[in-house]
Amino acid sequence: MRNPLLSAESITVHFGGVVALDRVSLAVDEGSFVGLVGPNGAGKTTMFGVLSGLIRPNSGKVAIDGVVVTRSTPQRRAKLGVSRTFQRLELFGELTVREHLVLAYRVRQRRDRSFFRDLVGLGNRPSPGEDAVVDELLRLLTLRDVANRPAVLLPLGTGRLVEVGRALAGSPRVVLLDEPTSGLGSDETERLAATLQSIRAEHNVAFVLVEHDVDLVLSLADTITVLDFGQIIAQGTPEDIRASREVQEAYLGVITEPN
Amino acid sequence: MSAFILSGLVIGSIYAISALGLVLTYTSSRVLNFAHGALAYFAAVFYYWLNNQQGWSIPAAAIVTILVMCPALGLFLWAILFRRLTHAPSEVRFVSTVGLWVALPALTKILFPFSKTETFDAQGLVKSPPDIFNVLGINVNENQAAVLISAVIVVVTLTIVLRATPIGLTTRATVDSPRTARISGINTSAITAGSWMAGTALAGFAGVLLTPILGLSEIQFTFLLVVSLAAAVIGRLTSLPLTFAGAMAIGLIQGISVDFLPDEGVLARGFRPSLPFVAMLIALLAYQGLRRERFEVDLRAGPAEERAPVPERWRGWRAAIGPLTLCIILLSVPLWLDDFWVGVVSQGIALAILYLTFTLVIGEGGMLSLCQITLAGIGAFSAARLAAESGVPVGVALLAGAAIAVPIGLVVALISLRLGDIYLALATLAFALLVENLVFARSDFENFGAGVALARPVFLGIDFNDRTNFYLLLVAVFLLSALLIATLRRATSGMVFAALRSSETASATTGIGVVRTKLILFAASSFIAGLGGGLLAMTIGRATTTTFNLLVGVVWIAIVVTWGVRSVVGALLAGIIFAVIPQQLSLILVLIAVMIVAGLIVRLIITKSIRTPIGAISGVMLLIGGIFIVRWLLDIEVSESWVDVPTMLFGLGAIGLAREPQGLVADTINRFRLRRIRTEARLLNTQSQVGT
Repeated sequence: MRNPLLSAESITVHFGGVVALDRVSLAVDEGSFVGLVGPNGAGKTTMFGVLSGLIRPNSGKVAIDGVVVTRSTPQRRAKLGVSRTFQRLELFGELTVREHLVLAYRVRQRRDRSFFRDLVGLGNRPSPGEDAVVDELLRLLTLRDVANRPAVLLPLGTGRLVEVGRALAGSPRVVLLDEPTSGLGSDETERLAATLQSIRAEHNVAFVLVEHDVDLVLSLADTITVLDFGQIIAQGTPEDIRASREVQEAYLGVITEPN
Repeated sequence: MSAFILSGLVIGSIYAISALGLVLTYTSSRVLNFAHGALAYFAAVFYYWLNNQQGWSIPAAAIVTILVMCPALGLFLWAILFRRLTHAPSEVRFVSTVGLWVALPALTKILFPFSKTETFDAQGLVKSPPDIFNVLGINVNENQAAVLISAVIVVVTLTIVLRATPIGLTTRATVDSPRTARISGINTSAITAGSWMAGTALAGFAGVLLTPILGLSEIQFTFLLVVSLAAAVIGRLTSLPLTFAGAMAIGLIQGISVDFLPDEGVLARGFRPSLPFVAMLIALLAYQGLRRERFEVDLRAGPAEERAPVPERWRGWRAAIGPLTLCIILLSVPLWLDDFWVGVVSQGIALAILYLTFTLVIGEGGMLSLCQITLAGIGAFSAARLAAESGVPVGVALLAGAAIAVPIGLVVALISLRLGDIYLALATLAFALLVENLVFARSDFENFGAGVALARPVFLGIDFNDRTNFYLLLVAVFLLSALLIATLRRATSGMVFAALRSSETASATTGIGVVRTKLILFAASSFIAGLGGGLLAMTIGRATTTTFNLLVGVVWIAIVVTWGVRSVVGALLAGIIFAVIPQQLSLILVLIAVMIVAGLIVRLIITKSIRTPIGAISGVMLLIGGIFIVRWLLDIEVSESWVDVPTMLFGLGAIGLAREPQGLVADTINRFRLRRIRTEARLLNTQSQVGT
């Protein structure tokens, strides 16, 4: 059996006395779309921290292509193709929108290590293929109008799109999206969903999506994991999740009937 | 032996009182106060003034100093400064408190001129000389008893307040999670304000107790700061009991060591200053596993504050205007200044080269290094001794000195960087104090104040003993270094640095090697420091201990921040002004007055309030007032008593401009451009809202 692209096995995380995650497992296959839902405080963002290397779990293991990376740095995981966005924006305030994407692209080419090359004045030339990738992403994410604006002055919704752009510009294999649509209007959300689907189809990129907009997750994801108080209460296809009694009780019971 | 233990306990108690204050303020507001020693110094001088000079009784002076003046000062500083720093980027927090560290002792010397000279006749909490009595066969003097009792009182009070009262509960809640505490209805502002008042009072208490033992001198209070920081590191900056234990341990080891150490020599002089460094080193190495926690703190912290963006640069031929003008002005200096002033400006340029180290390490790296001056000293002394003893050509010795500074800087950075920026600041400070006392104080370096001579080179048939030639050499080195930095900044590396300054978390998940990048920057800045140090020594003619003194280095940071910590022109201005201060104090004061008035007027214009009648009137008044101030300053005889004024102003400048890395001049200009960008952004915001 082939190893999943990114997998987490039996992850447990404590913050002081609070159990944020309790033996949670998750597998992301190449090119798949995984939804991660649950009420506030369910442990979704903590799970992203564990997957991206910002939080070291108390127990359990994370693997990329079957190689255990539980103790690897975020940098190493990024080099192996894991990138992410942040629910609370973590933009590079002084850089322009375009520079966010350019930087992510160049880091993947290891140009963040080109100190001496930069010192002699060769450091601001675009890498091969850089302009094409960056401009295409800016177009897809409707960021062309603000491309040369410093990120610090962007409205929240636009900032989320920049986060998505930065995560995608480094040609990742799996992207963890932490509530990318909060702050976006409904047509912007639809557009983002379409963009994600087309990128997934074209480049075989896998996505893990944390979202409050459950309809969106149900429509995009192949498999969905539902967390509550740090525990998995349901895991399966969107149809399974819709049908699951536990989920309806814990979480979905209040939302409108799916169409 | 028991006498040494007793004196160790006494000094440990003082360290503990100070360190508890430091940790208290840090935990409640996430601001590590590098001015903690300066606060203690101010309180000690104030107490001395009340008690020895105004003839107040000991209890009255003590109560007014520790329980009235200190809390009031703490509250005032919290209100105008610390309150705003909690969510500021780490280098802003650092630079602001360093600015206060510079400004406060200068202000002390202006307000209380007697403090310019060391005094040793200060009384503590008992009359001097203290009576001696015998407890269990040990001779204890009253002063020692007073210190021990004070420590017990402080610990008991803190324990009761924090463990057994509602105040303690809310304080601990605030420390654990400010946001949650706020949501549950706790007035977190009152808690932080209260802890700053208590923290300042503890600093003052320690200051009052320390003076009769060690005398009233600024350097002793720097040492107090460093020991308190070391104790705080042992307590992982959060644990009061561990901090207390750490401070007591350092005090005890220091006291007992007197019994074992020789009376004379480097070991005797160097042991005490090396203690906090060693303690910190052990704690830092032991806590290397803390990284996970650090990221958790990052993830759960409050929202980062908005930062002013770097305005667009001019492109094309216009980009060359600034640098060209700069070159022309610098190269033409020998044509319009006499030999003496060329010498002064030379020193300024040498300093400017050295200051580029801050441009790299603080400006670009956002790292809080306090040991750049030490690295400069290492570069200078290495070059001087290499040239003098090994007969290496001076130019080679200069570069070798700079190269020696690199691995040393790297080691200091390496042991602390993984734990986070604040630990780098602590380690570099302790390291600076260590080298200053253990290496620079050696007689073969210090040489009765004469230092080690460093001649100027002769090569390619050019004699650099000639003032103009040497000046041009310095300008060439400065311009080359500035060019390299500017090139680096425009390249991918520049983006990487900017990314790191904004968000280390996102940098890491994007794949940027955070520690690696910072180490490279630190290495480069160490090299520049070493090179600049060597050139400065060459300009003066010798490398001396007083040139590379930690406290001077702190003033350097303040002055560079004032003129622009991310700008090479800022480094240049800072260097020249620092060199001119001793020659032409009144000129500098005039310059500062002009800048303040001009800055205020620009701000009036930007806020558009100049278009209102009141704004217009105040603008005109400022202008007229400014002209009068300038004329008055030009006329007055500048006496000794003004010496500390520029230092104080640069300290205040660093506080005020900590958020504006482009410095005073550029910031004033940028405000116009920034306003335009903001207006556009606002328009964009409204459009996107209309769109939804």
